[in-house]
Amino acid sequence: MRCPIETRENAELLLDYCARKLDPEKAGVLERHIATCPACREFRDAQKLLWDSLDQWDAQPVSPDFDRRLQRRIEQEEQRQGWWRRLLSPLLTRPAVPLTATACLVLAAGFILQNPGGNVQPVADSAVVREVEQVERTLDDIEMLRQFDLVARAEESKRPI
Amino acid sequence: MGVAAAIEYDAELMLRVKEGDGASFGILLEKYRGPVIHFLYRMVQDSGVSEELAQEVFLRVYRSRSSYEPTAKFTTWLFRIATHLALNWLRDAKHEKSQDRLDDDPEGGGTRDVADRRPSVEQSLLDAVKLEEVRRAVAGLPEKQRAAVLMHKYEEMEYVQIAKVLACSESAVKSLLFRAYETLRVRLAHLG
Repeated sequence: MRCPIETRENAELLLDYCARKLDPEKAGVLERHIATCPACREFRDAQKLLWDSLDQWDAQPVSPDFDRRLQRRIEQEEQRQGWWRRLLSPLLTRPAVPLTATACLVLAAGFILQNPGGNVQPVADSAVVREVEQVERTLDDIEMLRQFDLVARAEESKRPI
Repeated sequence: MGVAAAIEYDAELMLRVKEGDGASFGILLEKYRGPVIHFLYRMVQDSGVSEELAQEVFLRVYRSRSSYEPTAKFTTWLFRIATHLALNWLRDAKHEKSQDRLDDDPEGGGTRDVADRRPSVEQSLLDAVKLEEVRRAVAGLPEKQRAAVLMHKYEEMEYVQIAKVLACSESAVKSLLFRAYETLRVRLAHLG
């Protein structure tokens, strides 16, 4: 058996041994090797010491309201999506419409991105910020429409012919 | 066999979430809430931030339910999201010099963290100092090495799974771990 710390590939054996992940057969072979190899013994002792030190770092207790906060966020998101769904439901019944709307929004976003200044005079930073926010919102809307389109198509395919 | 069954069970639960079963999402949350928060806490070393990031992780899992495909272990997917968010936060925090708090006087901004992670007031001062040393040593590792060590040591993940989470080869993970443990052994040698 080659000395495990001669190559990194073999050092993995020592790491696994110290992590108690090595199967008993391999562990036995390694222990016999360690008994005759001072370098490996040193490595093992240092790694075990490190392992014990890391074990002292206990896990944090989780806040009792973690699940409630998550639930609230999920509900908020679903409400927001529900609002969009109600707004767009007449359009979603016709699959071509959301595709057209998506294409229009893509074109609009492209126009805005290609003309960042537009008619707005470069007088205030806040105007630029608003414009960036608007583009971001548009891109969000495109993503949402894309998802609604997928939902619409899925629902369409489920309908009996 | 048991592990394989557990993997299938997680994926099965996620597929049920995909079908609209909220209870299955609750089971996954119950099972992985702790591991995800603990991993994130050890990555960012701030309890408030770690819970916020964990909320985002589970929110993203829920959001992605409709496109979920069990092509990899559920935990690989979960920790990939968690690692991605943690690395992004660390990158942003660097710009805001939040990392400085780790090196500051304990009387400064880091006080809350030190108090937060103490398991009890009876813990001896010596243990607290040792723990602080461990925390600092881990925080001092490069981010990918840190993530690899935390997944290997505390989450007991296999090399192949860590490789998938970090989007690198298995041998790269072994190399990351070897270097990280080497650094930690040197930094924490005096604790023995």
